[in-house]
Amino acid sequence: MRAFAKLHPAVNLVYFLCVLSVCMFVPHPVLEAEALVGGALFCAATGKRGNIKGELLFYIPMFFIAAAVNPLFSHNGVTPLFFLNGNPVTLEALLYGVSMAAALVGALLWCKAYSGVMTSDKHLYLFGRLWPKLSLVLSSALRFIPVFLRQSRRVGRAQKAMGLYSGKSLTDRIKNKGRVLSSMVLWSLENAVEVSAAMRARGYGCGRKRTSFSLFRMRAGDKVWLSLCLALYAAVLAAALTGDLNFSFYPKIGEISLSAAALLGYAAFGALSLLPFAAEIKEAVQWRYCVSKI
Amino acid sequence: MEILRVENLSFRYPKAEGFALKDMNLSVQSGEFLVLCGPSGCGKTTLLRLLKKELSPAGELSGRVLYGADAPTVGFVGQNPEAQTVTDKVWHELAFGLESLGLPTEVIRRRVGEMACFFGIEGLFRKRTDELSGGQKQLLCLASVLVMQPQVILLDEPTGQLDPIAASDFIAALQKINRELGITVILAEHRLEDVFPVADRAAVMEDGQLLLCCPPRDVAAFLSALDGHHAMLRALPSAARIWQSLRLPGDCPLTVREGRELLERHCKTRGALLPEEERAHADDAALELKSVFFRYERDAPDVLRGASFTVYRGVIFCVLGGNGAGKTTLLNVAAGLDRAYRGKVSVFGKPVKDYKGGSLYRHCLALLPQDPQCVFAHDTVRADLYEMCEAAGIKKAEREERVREEAERLGVSHLLERHPYDLSGGEMQKCALAKVLLSAPKLLLLDEPTKGIDAFAKQSLCGIIKDLQKDGITAVIVTHDVEFAAESADRCALVFDGEILSADTPRRFFAENSFYTTAANRIARTLWKNAVSCAEVSERFLAEGEDG
Amino acid sequence: MKKRVSFIVFCLAVPAVVVGGALLFPAKRYAYVTLCAAVLSCLPFFMQFERKDAGVKRLVLIASMTALSTLGRVIFAPLPGFKPVTAMVVITAMYFGGEAGFMTGTLSALISNFWFGQGPWTPFQMLSWGMLGFIAGLLASPLKKSKALLAAYGALAGVLYSFIMDVWTVLWADGFFNPARYAAALASSVPFTAVYAASNVVFLLLFAGPIGRTLERIQTKYNI
Repeated sequence: MRAFAKLHPAVNLVYFLCVLSVCMFVPHPVLEAEALVGGALFCAATGKRGNIKGELLFYIPMFFIAAAVNPLFSHNGVTPLFFLNGNPVTLEALLYGVSMAAALVGALLWCKAYSGVMTSDKHLYLFGRLWPKLSLVLSSALRFIPVFLRQSRRVGRAQKAMGLYSGKSLTDRIKNKGRVLSSMVLWSLENAVEVSAAMRARGYGCGRKRTSFSLFRMRAGDKVWLSLCLALYAAVLAAALTGDLNFSFYPKIGEISLSAAALLGYAAFGALSLLPFAAEIKEAVQWRYCVSKI
Repeated sequence: MEILRVENLSFRYPKAEGFALKDMNLSVQSGEFLVLCGPSGCGKTTLLRLLKKELSPAGELSGRVLYGADAPTVGFVGQNPEAQTVTDKVWHELAFGLESLGLPTEVIRRRVGEMACFFGIEGLFRKRTDELSGGQKQLLCLASVLVMQPQVILLDEPTGQLDPIAASDFIAALQKINRELGITVILAEHRLEDVFPVADRAAVMEDGQLLLCCPPRDVAAFLSALDGHHAMLRALPSAARIWQSLRLPGDCPLTVREGRELLERHCKTRGALLPEEERAHADDAALELKSVFFRYERDAPDVLRGASFTVYRGVIFCVLGGNGAGKTTLLNVAAGLDRAYRGKVSVFGKPVKDYKGGSLYRHCLALLPQDPQCVFAHDTVRADLYEMCEAAGIKKAEREERVREEAERLGVSHLLERHPYDLSGGEMQKCALAKVLLSAPKLLLLDEPTKGIDAFAKQSLCGIIKDLQKDGITAVIVTHDVEFAAESADRCALVFDGEILSADTPRRFFAENSFYTTAANRIARTLWKNAVSCAEVSERFLAEGEDG
Repeated sequence: MKKRVSFIVFCLAVPAVVVGGALLFPAKRYAYVTLCAAVLSCLPFFMQFERKDAGVKRLVLIASMTALSTLGRVIFAPLPGFKPVTAMVVITAMYFGGEAGFMTGTLSALISNFWFGQGPWTPFQMLSWGMLGFIAGLLASPLKKSKALLAAYGALAGVLYSFIMDVWTVLWADGFFNPARYAAALASSVPFTAVYAASNVVFLLLFAGPIGRTLERIQTKYNI
């Protein structure tokens, strides 16, 4: 199920910018927790079934390590728990570490979601209009990589079958790989000239302003999504501007505000970070329903 | 109506000694299908590039190219489908030219859709370009040039890298756009069997000059009038070659059907069998595969399903088969590059896996890969050959001698100081072979050695392989070039569905096949069931023919 | 005139973002502020690249070098830290100029992270590799002449790369620049830094000659 990824790339990008900017610039334990949960649920819903265990084994230890390291380095705070090598380990530093770890893992999860959703062709579509040359270089490079990989495998095998692979020591391995790379350089640059000829043959650089064609279409659903996302983002920003979402750990842990503005902020960001997960669930349910009717 | 004319065109590349084009004159009519032919380096490519302004090479130019009154737009398709593909998605590939023209999205959408329908490639529309086969890629290149609606389309050896089936499909597509859309086609080709029957005129070039330009039917007659042994005659379709060598009356036949009608008219023999030549070989096997199974990944389907065959020492063994039948895989398994998960592969009686630490590749077995470019890593051929000497453990003092020897044996001594990428396809193939042979192999495996090379290079490669055989080298050649197999092999085998179906002498092998066989065999099979090459057919005809 | 204005805007924008970020955000989220600064510092290079009238051959060659250095990162993936990316970027810069070097560096970082994982470190990698390429372009002629200088540049590039990336590690983990942790990070990454530096030197000495000759040949053969 990839309901969110099927939306218009601009919607995807705006959504990620909204979530990531809140994660980055409005540090607050509640928002961090919401981002963490939203990111984890989305990654779990879109990731491969078999991978979840491995992912948990990666993120959970990372969370604890990140949380534990901070109090060792930072001795701010007024509530010492115990002393280590004569330095106090404080409650504030510990909780700050937990909060940092939540933010860190949350951001990593959202970056993973970003990588999964924002494939290279979406970037090219979005930035291609802005920077046509850059996007030509980027898209050509992206196209070359699988081609080069295949060619380098061929070269490696050809060299092996010629008996050029001398030994198994580290220097031999480096030498062998280096030989593949230099063969690849010869081949790829010659190839580049041919590719550029093919581009010129198809009118690239003929002087007319290039347009950019894509299969993406902005549909009604995309517009609904976009407005919803921007509305929720505006609500979070408004709440943040009232100052009720300020929170500090040092010198003493602050209070989690329960004012109307703060509650609005929590609710709006919670909804925002759960949106893609909700979309996945909705599509799954629709599909189930549809299948059951057939 | 004339659509373009070349007037006294001469061209010289910078720093080159000779002219690539000398005083060319050529006129092309609108809607014409013109074939440019001639040996490698005759100036075909230079001429085509000069006709397409955006691709004109830098150099010294005189004379001019005139285009028709309404300034026709010109499209260009090159040889290598891989390098012609400029984006990663099929739909984007189709749209690329239109983006350059600055057309709005809606127009592009319509034109691209229309073109995909015309070529029947809707199914590929959202695929990645690197998932396509060579033939599909080349068809896509053609489609993405046509989408720009050119009046003239130039093609530089577009079928050079394709297998015969994909090549004839491509030529059929060209014929379709020529007939149905009235687009002028100028095609440079060295594989003329499929092209001559559909072309309106053929222009034969030699050393940068236009030798003749006439309907394809007259080419053979004109060429033999010029010189009865003109090298270009060898490149003509089989029917034309037989007609020419027998000097029969009437029009020159171009297709198998015409050729057969001609022979049947002049010769009464039916269903005869030519005597089988005795081909001696040693009793011990150079390469033996026993029910070999192989797959690339655990969950992938088997590519080899119980392939078994034996190649005796001193034999030239050709393995034929279509695309994806597992030919290359077979060779890789034999060369120990891929491991069979079941079955036995042995080289000179010793299992491949018992050759330790690369000893298989020293004085024993060598593999020339499909793409000779893979073999080179340095900026002169000589440097590459020296590298190989070093790996083969040849002493420093002896290296020069060995390199000289090997270069002489393959006739590439004059190419040693050149950059590998400045060589023509045939020259590169020979240099690559020289490099591979420096390890003094006793068993040589060749993967599609005739891909992209012209008739003359093919002929000389065939000679080289036969010379190597005299030196005691066993050769296993994987190819889909039936003509080459018929000419060079002692034994031929067909791979299909991961198995070796039949292995026999070329005579018996091709006599059994009715589709997968040489054009000469298809022409003459009602007369002599197992005549394989044009030369054989002509010979038999002279012995038995004209009796009625 | 327009060029100059946009140039000045960018020169001002980067420090403005840093200072503004530091002032505006109460909890010290320097990591994000520097992240924005990194992205912003790449922009003028991109815009300059867009404006310049470069032939399509040059563009595709840059794409090829980018793909090659990414490929190098993949080919050598089994040897941790031993990557030819910096070397390829430096060589490109030496023969095609600093701007091409910058583009190759940034795009190699961006593209290889599509495989190795995109993250907040991407802009920093882009900027570090890009700058290493840009500076190599400025030093092109001395680097071409002296092998010793080339090796020194490679070693320095490895160390600098590590230093810059560790700044990021520390900011990301602590939210502010914690000298103690920076020292700890530097110390813990000494083996990696050493491998970076060594691999740069090895690759530059091995490849600068042959790849350089190939690039020169292509330039003269197809007059780029």
